[in-house]
Amino acid sequence: MTAPTIQVCRTCGGGAPIDVHFCPQCTKILTLGRQGDYFAFLDMPRKLNLDVGELEQRFRALSRRFHPDYFYNAPLAERRASLERSSYLNDAYRTLRQPVARIEYLLELEGMAAGSAERSGAAPQGGAVPPALLEEVFALNEELDEVRALREAGAPESAWKGRLQRARQPIDAKRAEHEEHLEELSAKWDALVDSHGSDGDRLAVLTALHQRMLERNYINNLLAGIERELAT
Amino acid sequence: MAYSNKVIDHYENPRNVGSLPKEDPNVGTGLVGAPECGDVMKLQVKVNPATGVIDDAKFKTFGCGSAIASSSLATEWLKGKTVDEALAIKNTDIVTELSLPPVKIHCSVLAEDAIKAAISDYKKKQGVTGKTADTHAQPTA
Repeated sequence: MTAPTIQVCRTCGGGAPIDVHFCPQCTKILTLGRQGDYFAFLDMPRKLNLDVGELEQRFRALSRRFHPDYFYNAPLAERRASLERSSYLNDAYRTLRQPVARIEYLLELEGMAAGSAERSGAAPQGGAVPPALLEEVFALNEELDEVRALREAGAPESAWKGRLQRARQPIDAKRAEHEEHLEELSAKWDALVDSHGSDGDRLAVLTALHQRMLERNYINNLLAGIERELAT
Repeated sequence: MAYSNKVIDHYENPRNVGSLPKEDPNVGTGLVGAPECGDVMKLQVKVNPATGVIDDAKFKTFGCGSAIASSSLATEWLKGKTVDEALAIKNTDIVTELSLPPVKIHCSVLAEDAIKAAISDYKKKQGVTGKTADTHAQPTA
């Protein structure tokens, strides 16, 4: 990958490193164009266990520096740059603040997007989800369906609430296990970043993370379905 | 997003919902999932051993309207077809019939995968080497 590493200041024409926000020569705010990524923008390592306090501090400091109020009287290009940098900063902060969004973003950056449903036509990686999980998900969905049918038929709470709670246990356990795996893999990834691990090792961790993210929708959908029944 | 009338019809009146005995040697079962949205689809075929024609097909899908409509339509098409004819069903046929929008094409791919998986399971049970079926089991998006 040959990402650009240099940007040009539109005010003075001087060169600046890609992830610098203000021109080192003339100190003016730089147009947002070929920035690197959210991590680099905030000058943080591409790690999954980010120091959230640090992230917060950087976000606040940059928010102040980019704030459009400070550019009220500035030339149009600078005003626009302040808006663009503020908006990009907000996106970066929102994404990196949440551990799961952070993982998704990292996978995307590393060319392993979790595959959104929006990307039509792409073959679903059905085989990527273990058949045993599909079986389990299917059985639990059927159980949920039966509970719904019972309730529609006017069955008393005693007839279905226990079933719902029993159905919930294995999913809760799976969810906990899932979170644990994400944490383990995140720690592994961070260690590889620190030790400049080999491409092979990095790919192995990213692939495992990608796998885990695929399970996530199933687990969350099931839990949401149960919550919905319990709440109504 | 607006669903086409055909999708709504299949969604509101799904055909062939249910299940066939999984252990029956003449029944093939396909269970597939789309992790992008958390959908899961089960499709089963029952083949007449004398004629090689699919007598019955059932499905059960937990997912969006398009996924339900795609699998409902697939079971309708499967009935009366031979196993080989069934394997010729393409996801694009489903897209055309249901006028699926681009964002829902993966639902039709899922249905095609389910057909392939069900037939593959049937062939395995019949002692036909699973390999021939597997090489076909690639989605053609």
